Amino acid sequence: MIAVEGLGITRGAFNLSAITFAVPAGSYTILMGPSGAGKTLLLETIAGFYPPSGGTVTVGGVDVTLDPPEKRRIGFAYQDYSLFPHLTVEGNVSFGLRMAGVPSRQRGETVQGLLARFNILSLAGRYPGALSGGEKQRVALARALGTRPVVLLLDEPFAALDSDTRSSCIQEVKTLQQETGLTILQVSHARDEAYLLADQVLVMDKGVLLQSGRPSEVFSRPAHRTVASIAGFENVLEGTAEAAGDGTNHLIIGQGTLVADSAPKTGEKYFICIRAGDIALTREKTGKEGAGNWIDGQVVSVIATDLGSRLRVEGAFPLTVDVSRHLAPVPGFRNGDRVVAWIDPRDVHLIPVPALPGGEDR
Amino acid sequence: MTPAAAPGRFKGRSLIAFWIPGMVLVGIIVLALLVIAIPVLQNLEILAATAADPVVLHAFLVTFVAGFTAVGILALTGTPLAYALSRTDAPWKSVVETLVDIPLVLPHTVAGLMVYLLFMSQGPLGGPLGELGLTFEDAFPGIVAAMVFVSIPYYVNAVREGFGRVPVQLENVARTLGASKGRTFISVTLPLATRHILYGALLAWGRAIGEFAAVIMIAYFPLVISSLIYYRFTTGGIAESQAIAFLLILLCMVLFFVFRVLTRRAGVYDDRG
Repeated sequence: MIAVEGLGITRGAFNLSAITFAVPAGSYTILMGPSGAGKTLLLETIAGFYPPSGGTVTVGGVDVTLDPPEKRRIGFAYQDYSLFPHLTVEGNVSFGLRMAGVPSRQRGETVQGLLARFNILSLAGRYPGALSGGEKQRVALARALGTRPVVLLLDEPFAALDSDTRSSCIQEVKTLQQETGLTILQVSHARDEAYLLADQVLVMDKGVLLQSGRPSEVFSRPAHRTVASIAGFENVLEGTAEAAGDGTNHLIIGQGTLVADSAPKTGEKYFICIRAGDIALTREKTGKEGAGNWIDGQVVSVIATDLGSRLRVEGAFPLTVDVSRHLAPVPGFRNGDRVVAWIDPRDVHLIPVPALPGGEDR
Repeated sequence: MTPAAAPGRFKGRSLIAFWIPGMVLVGIIVLALLVIAIPVLQNLEILAATAADPVVLHAFLVTFVAGFTAVGILALTGTPLAYALSRTDAPWKSVVETLVDIPLVLPHTVAGLMVYLLFMSQGPLGGPLGELGLTFEDAFPGIVAAMVFVSIPYYVNAVREGFGRVPVQLENVARTLGASKGRTFISVTLPLATRHILYGALLAWGRAIGEFAAVIMIAYFPLVISSLIYYRFTTGGIAESQAIAFLLILLCMVLFFVFRVLTRRAGVYDDRG
């Protein structure tokens, strides 16, 4: 397992502040966050490429904070796989074994086994420059596993792959992890990778760890505006809770109001998070959706998507709405159409603004 | 229907506007070679006599061996310096870079004066080394010292550029695979910078064997080829110096050509499987 306790690092003007988390043995954790959040720097610091300014890193129960990278038993693969261009595939895979002084015969057998395991035996004599993205990734994994690391750190390993290759590579890595029981910490920008692979998701921004938990928990109950964006809430609005006449509280957003299922505190400011797909759009109030939030507006943009279209609706407050082609009226919505958006109060997720560290994200 | 492409050359891809001014420089070099080569080739007797002259042969030997020695010293000291410069962002980096470039911007006579003052028998380096039996004034080590001094920026800058092109990520990954810092340098960084190291060595060697002013100020003797050409020019006239110059040019062209052919694939990695 990996245990990071109060880890800090300063690189130029960038700081990682007191990062604490654990990746249980044999589990898969995905580290997410916007560009510039410090994800790669965190991985590199755990691997020992940079000395931390404070805190500890424990790998497999051993404190490796002051150890050089070659003593940590951590495998690492960058987004571009960083294969050694002057070595063949075989040379790359056997590199770690050579460094460990493994005798030539035993090394050859191990390398052949790894090449076979990753289905790259036929590529043994080729140089990395002649490999496809998927092949490079297999070589990088085979190379990293050659030294039998305790944990594997992967920096956006699927980001540079085309869609088909990416899907098969994700499945291969998942199978590999299940077969070997390897502990993996991976950086990713993609939610689907988290759902498919991760037992745990960590979200960080600006050098601070914001939230951790199971993917379904983090993505359905974000505790921070940044997490809400990563979780796929296309609508993140800001509003204030006010007392309604019926004894409940509603939220004032711009010129409009919204009711949420959770109970906001009077006078508190909230980020109001709503998924574009959770909003129903009609030409007029039908009443068949029952009680809830009805917002009048006008369509200002329509963009075709895989499932239908994504609309921008301007009303009391702006909304992004996904309309499935199977549920859209005929003819479909067009720019300038007057519409009514319906939002179920159960689909309105609230994040208290004061909970933001520093409040600089507002 | 798409009209068929008109026959003839595709317009807009010609480099003629770049070639014309560029060829002015190439033309000057060719002319300079011709003004040396034509008179020499018209008098082959002098050329043959010069090529067989033991003084000329000795000067060539001294020059080339001193040049190779200087490059060897630069490889041992300049390579680590170039790597350190390529991997640091420390504020004092630019100070070191400026110091490295000093031999590049100084008049050769000033470089010669510096070398002389450093390595003369009472100099801060020449004195202690003299006590160890290493004499620089009018001696082979003096020639090498001058050659090393004037070649430092040519070697260090070229090799630093090469190391700078090796992604740090490759070194990081090598470390996680069990390679120490030193083994990573030897197994990953050095092979990937081979092309620039060879290019830096070639530049430094060429600069070293061509040095005149700095060399004669510390060691007029044994004569290097540039000193001999000057000596023959002032004592024997143009014809004698032209013949030696022609031989030098010929040798250098052959050496440079062979070097380029042999190192054409160095540092170039693709699928050879």
